[in-house]
Amino acid sequence: MAKPKVAFYWCASCGGCEEAVVDLAEDLLKVVDAVDIVLWPVALDFKRKDVEAMKDGAIAVSFINGAVRTEEQEEMVKLLRKKSGLVVAFGSCAHIGGIPGLANFWDRETIFERVYKDVPSVRNPEGIYPQQKTKVDGVELTLPEFYDTVYTLDQVINVDYYLPGCAPPPDLIMNAVTAILEGKLPDKGSVLAPDKSLCDTCPRKDSKPEKLSIKAIRRPHEVIADPEKCFLEEGIICLGPATRSGCGERCINANMPCRGCFGPTKGVRDQGAKMVSAIASILGVEDEDKVTEEEVESLVKQIDDPAGLFYMYSLPASMLRRKRMG
Amino acid sequence: MAERIGVYVCKCGPNIGDKVDVDAIVDDVKGIEGVATAKSHNLLCSADGLEFLKSEIEGEKLTRVVVAACTPKMYEQKLMRACEEAGLNPFLMQMTNIREQCAWVTPDKALATRKARSLVMAAINRAPLLEPIERKEIEVQADVLVVGGGVAGLEACLSLAQKGRKVYLVEKSPCIGGLAARFEEVYPTMECAPCMIAPELQEVLQKENIEVFTHSEVEETLGSFGNFSVKIRRKARYVSEEACIGCGACFEPCPVEVSNEYDEGLSKRKAIYVPFAGALPNVPVIDKDNCKRFKGEECRACEQACPFGAISFDDKDEVIERKVGAIILATGATLLDPKALPQYGYGKLDNVVTALQLERLNASNGPTGGKVLLKNGKEPKSIAFVFCVGRKEKEYCSGICCMYSIKLAHIMREKLPDAKLYCFYSDICVPKKEHQQWYDRVVDQGVEFIRSNGTVAVTADKGKLAVKHGTDSSGKTVSVDMVVLAPAVEPSSDIEKLAGILDTSRDDHGFFCEEHALMKPFATALEGVFAVGSCQGPKDIGDAVAQAGAAAGRVLSRLVPGEKLALEPMVAVVDEDLCSGCKTCILLCPYSAITRDKEKGTSVVDEALCRGCGTCVAACPSGAITAKQFTREQILAEIKGVAK
Repeated sequence: MAKPKVAFYWCASCGGCEEAVVDLAEDLLKVVDAVDIVLWPVALDFKRKDVEAMKDGAIAVSFINGAVRTEEQEEMVKLLRKKSGLVVAFGSCAHIGGIPGLANFWDRETIFERVYKDVPSVRNPEGIYPQQKTKVDGVELTLPEFYDTVYTLDQVINVDYYLPGCAPPPDLIMNAVTAILEGKLPDKGSVLAPDKSLCDTCPRKDSKPEKLSIKAIRRPHEVIADPEKCFLEEGIICLGPATRSGCGERCINANMPCRGCFGPTKGVRDQGAKMVSAIASILGVEDEDKVTEEEVESLVKQIDDPAGLFYMYSLPASMLRRKRMG
Repeated sequence: MAERIGVYVCKCGPNIGDKVDVDAIVDDVKGIEGVATAKSHNLLCSADGLEFLKSEIEGEKLTRVVVAACTPKMYEQKLMRACEEAGLNPFLMQMTNIREQCAWVTPDKALATRKARSLVMAAINRAPLLEPIERKEIEVQADVLVVGGGVAGLEACLSLAQKGRKVYLVEKSPCIGGLAARFEEVYPTMECAPCMIAPELQEVLQKENIEVFTHSEVEETLGSFGNFSVKIRRKARYVSEEACIGCGACFEPCPVEVSNEYDEGLSKRKAIYVPFAGALPNVPVIDKDNCKRFKGEECRACEQACPFGAISFDDKDEVIERKVGAIILATGATLLDPKALPQYGYGKLDNVVTALQLERLNASNGPTGGKVLLKNGKEPKSIAFVFCVGRKEKEYCSGICCMYSIKLAHIMREKLPDAKLYCFYSDICVPKKEHQQWYDRVVDQGVEFIRSNGTVAVTADKGKLAVKHGTDSSGKTVSVDMVVLAPAVEPSSDIEKLAGILDTSRDDHGFFCEEHALMKPFATALEGVFAVGSCQGPKDIGDAVAQAGAAAGRVLSRLVPGEKLALEPMVAVVDEDLCSGCKTCILLCPYSAITRDKEKGTSVVDEALCRGCGTCVAACPSGAITAKQFTREQILAEIKGVAK
């Protein structure tokens, strides 16, 4: 019997998700043994035309990482959707928008201006920006359109499963691959990670005070965090309570607070809003009756770049989705 | 199975009927998926309307009901009962308010109809997501906590205990009896107050179903009417109440002497003491702040003197938990400190005293054994009583100062027949049936009443005191040996802490706020929590006792052992499969209904304590808490319905 065909593809991403596949180490050999990789731009020389030549549904599963922000990416993921039985959104960017998703606080024009003109290492006095069509020596060159908005994968095509994380940890990838090969998959639309939030598995869980109240906000670079204490107890905002677990607590173990790459927990639509709501609830709550409006304001003002902090990974998937277009 | 929704739009006579095109809405919603029937009715809350609703539910085999009518605060319960009688879980009815929110807010019928349609659409969209809720009840807790052992607290204890209720009396001082125990005679009967209350004190101390905690404070209260859990801190007394017989052998050897607060600073007491002779329970207490031993010195004088081995320096504070159904606050009052008003010279000039200090000088169990003496040990030949001290500043009349000052003037007249007595007043307030007679009597007895309208100023005057009154040139001065101030009555100092623990509100003057000044002057806005006596407002003994009796009566009639108490049905629920134990919710709950299950590592909501406010639901960062009847899906469906 022919081995199931598998595709890996990348959109707006950093390459970390490709690394994550390589991080399977010896397990990668098991995967390669069991499947037939038909597309993996970072490693193998298959082309778009090879995919186009396949029958619809010929690929058993496509793992697509990265958010969608260009015309080309949109075309490719739509093509892969057509050719694949299953599509797995692989990693934070495909799942909830990820770091590229922060671009939704701007638009194409401001991004181009920044990247191609204002950045100190760029010299562009004529203000030349990328164009979709350019004539060079009488020949028309084309580039795919760069969108104003960064999209999650499921905002462009139907997605069957999600593998969260920046990047997804090898154990979750292996679990997913095994489940697919053995046909033991959960309900469509599931996130292939535990349902509870990170606090459940946090090594600092037991040291967290029974009654949590934040009196002052501190940013990670302003203090050396106590490696035993809950970050929130120390006033360092940690998105762990609003973030799905399964990451292996990599950041926490490196003494850094959670930034939310695994996205919201099951049933929650807006991870950032949930965390804002939780922080607003516990900020200075112990002396709630005595706190003046001004004190509340100054407490809240201590949170630097709240939108960027609470929606660091999830802006495109949130109810906000993006900054309002002018 | 698809839901069968019945939509009923009430015209409320002309109230909605004339302002909203009800029939257009009914026609409009008929075709919507899931809507089995849609009808209008002239008055759904009428007997006829309720019967109609019941027959519709049964006849159309409805699984959901949408009622568009008035505010749910009016008749939702009635309509829910009708659903229940027709065999439909009452929480499967969705009500929407098209009267107060549509018909009554605009004269424009088209606009009112548009909004009413939106609200009905929202309700229809939400209805299929409603879930049946089972009503739960618990047995009421009929025991009662009484805070404060003054006359009001005693009355409440005895009234309740008489009917067999278990009562827990918490008193912060080492003895019960309150202020009255420290007065020699009380108006209008001029009885000996300690004698008057002695039988009550004994009964309270001896009654089996009254548990008295002296030298104790309420530390925490949880729960609500019929089901409170209270924590009482019994402070270490360092003297065993069981072993001590009150012989007093321990006082003499104690090397410490401090000012005695129970004699208003007019006498000294030891670090081991009883507040005054005859205080009950007759068991001393060690004042930890002043005892040498607790300051690290090696002193065992009292321990060595005690013939019964009743002294125990190792005594520790104890926190005791009790379950009660109601709480009666009777924490009493105190007097404004006149030092705040320098014109009276209090605290600076000798022989300027407060009425409470004169009460102690006059009391046979007081510092002078009942002799009224000046600082120099001589009897005063003239006394000025100054009424209304602090009335202007406090902006209320305490209502009892005229009468107790008149009483004191009368006692002084009898005790010091030759002394000149003056009363400086602004307005005489003697409103009760016996009080006017007392005023007339002391006037007859030669007490001179001088209207000063609050302009009194006291200064030193060659060994005597000069009382100046009047503002203009006509201002006169009277020279006296003693000045007795009648300061405004204010709530006792611990009222703020107690109000914080119970979350009860206080009025502008700091007294506990009554639920209704006329109809429920003894109840607070919190169901099952009563405030009686002077903690609710200045009162004399008779009024305080009457209020305490009223509250006790209310408790006896409303809190009957064996009766059930319906719990809030729309409580918050924690999904154990989603709760990660992040503890965000625990501190937030205003009812302290959330605790942590240590074994499971998740939060747990106590259904008996939860009032369904939703604070935890909003705060839960992982969406693990849901409010029954207000789930995320239901709310979203409602919002989407509005937009349809």
